[in-house]
Amino acid sequence: MKYRIEQQMDLREKLGILADAAKYDVACTSSGVERKNTGYGVGNCIAPGICHSFSADGRCISLLKILFTNECIFDCKYCINRRSNDVPRASFTPQEVCDLVMGFYRRNYIEGLFLSSGILVSPDATMELLYQTLYKLRREYHFQGYIHVKAIPGADPVLIERTGYLADRMSVNLELPTAEGLRALAPQKQRPKMLAPIRQVYSERQQNRQELALYRHAPKFVPAGQSTQMIIGASGESDWQIMKVAEHMYRKYEMKRVFYSAFLRVNEDRLLPVLPGGPPLLREHRLYQADWLLRFYGFGTEELLSEDRPDFNLLLDPKCDWALRHLEQFPVEVMRADYHTLLRVPGIGYRSAGRIVRARRLGTLDYENLKKMGVVLKRAVYFITCGGKQMYPVKLQEDYILRNLMDGKEKLPAGARDTSGYEQLSLFDDPRFSV
Amino acid sequence: MIRVFQCEDTLTGILTGVYDAWDSRLGHEHVRLSTVCDGNLELFCEYVQTEPDTEKAEKVIRTIKRRMGEEAFEMIAYAASYPDDQKADAIYRMIVTGLHLPDGRQITGMLTHPQVRLVFELRRKAWHIAHRYMGFVRFRELENGVLFSEIDGEADVLALIAPHFADRLPLENWAVYDHRRQKAAVHISGKGWMILEDVDKEQLLEPGASAQEAEYEALWKVFHRAIGIQERTNGRLQMSLLPRKFRQFMNEFSCPEGRADRP
Repeated sequence: MKYRIEQQMDLREKLGILADAAKYDVACTSSGVERKNTGYGVGNCIAPGICHSFSADGRCISLLKILFTNECIFDCKYCINRRSNDVPRASFTPQEVCDLVMGFYRRNYIEGLFLSSGILVSPDATMELLYQTLYKLRREYHFQGYIHVKAIPGADPVLIERTGYLADRMSVNLELPTAEGLRALAPQKQRPKMLAPIRQVYSERQQNRQELALYRHAPKFVPAGQSTQMIIGASGESDWQIMKVAEHMYRKYEMKRVFYSAFLRVNEDRLLPVLPGGPPLLREHRLYQADWLLRFYGFGTEELLSEDRPDFNLLLDPKCDWALRHLEQFPVEVMRADYHTLLRVPGIGYRSAGRIVRARRLGTLDYENLKKMGVVLKRAVYFITCGGKQMYPVKLQEDYILRNLMDGKEKLPAGARDTSGYEQLSLFDDPRFSV
Repeated sequence: MIRVFQCEDTLTGILTGVYDAWDSRLGHEHVRLSTVCDGNLELFCEYVQTEPDTEKAEKVIRTIKRRMGEEAFEMIAYAASYPDDQKADAIYRMIVTGLHLPDGRQITGMLTHPQVRLVFELRRKAWHIAHRYMGFVRFRELENGVLFSEIDGEADVLALIAPHFADRLPLENWAVYDHRRQKAAVHISGKGWMILEDVDKEQLLEPGASAQEAEYEALWKVFHRAIGIQERTNGRLQMSLLPRKFRQFMNEFSCPEGRADRP
């Protein structure tokens, strides 16, 4: 038997461990800030962000997403890096992170850095290390690309402030939507402590906006805003509770994004749920769809869900679901309806709504035009008229529309589609027959 | 009798065609623009070759920008880079319509007009390709410090992505080589960028990869593999977001055994 007590790790090994440990963080966006290069140094940012590759799970790789260290003093039940787990541990040095970022960035592998960390020794010590890394990168290497850094809850506000002036985006993960869930699964974390840095970043951004209005070249504090992340399906919250928290984050703290991550059972623990069907990916998808409705379509959580209907219909996207429950507001006349009404039609997104509004000033629209503009007629056809006419005669009835909408290509759980009770007869594949 | 102006398949070529067609004073319904000359001629047409002329193109650009706005010009520039037989004529019709509107800036939203819509669609396609290449270009460091990369896009996106890289890496010497058109965008440290035609790739690659190159490539592959979550593996999603045609020059997908994209 071989024992490895301590051995120098090479950079490749470290990167493997610390990227692997960081992969559960969802945020990999590089959007929200437009910055030209100053003419010396390396890097710029463009507002829509750029995806540089896609990993095997289909998620975008935009930033070098790593933990500074995966050593941690906490013992959160859901986390692979918790203190009581026996996993290989590693830590970078600020120099190593800088080398990696500059080497990758020059070769156009990445758009910037996403730096998170386990809690090494204390929150203050960890935040200090993150700050040092960012300082080195920004001031010594003149790196002007995107940096997303975690604010460590419980760290000194002065450190968080200084780091915020070097980063583009900061984030604190709420992890679990409710305080009870947090108490059960992450007993060392406290809700008020986690909200403190969020509140601090929010108020300093407000202040910074004033400064920038006065002095155009004042240093910018977290220009791309902050984001957060919640685990879905670990502690039994309803979609209603999750959406409420998300809405609160958007309204109260001007969050740029709230990310949802389907719970993965990486640890064996009796407090964690067993999900035989794998991570609840479809539920996560529905939450993201609803999240978009909150941010771009002017919906409120109350309209989509209520306390007696606390979960989304997994079979139908939230917008169609809403429309089917509000058929009295349809059909909408495309040539006359205002922008906000158009936004609420299933099959019309915010881009196509904008195009419709611009195009109809200069001419009459028909269904052919709508299709070319990017309206998904497959869904929209039940809810619109164009020039007073329907595309083809459809009934404005809930079950009729539902049956037709569910015919789509979207991947749904097996057996969900045949709600009507009709199916094609076949001699050989009887669903009740199994070998 | 319709006069067909055959122009070179570049932005300059097409805009020169626009100038000449307008200048011919035959009336818009009697002229047509085309970028193809495959010998497939039509009856009752007179074919005229136009030579690309920067001065004429400049004049047209100035008019477009003044009367129809920057956005319209951007739309035309992107559309011109995408291969399509109809594009030259569509651009001409768009300019004609735009200059007759009371406010030319509205032309970009006039999607009920079939030719404007075509230009709009081509712009969108070209932009998607250009935007993807901004992310998918992979530079290799050569022994002399030059960063070299290759692309092979349907649209001629070199001129669309070069400004981005020139801003991003102002102090580097880099080159992006277009495999399909044997062109390259070349940038010299601290100076501007330019497009070179008929480039010999072998000559550019003469110095060979630098000493550090292999190490960084290996590190990137390690990272790329580690960042995927096993339980969520979704090859179809990956394939639709990053189709095979873009993977040709991306080192994380190149592997001696071939299929590095499969875990």
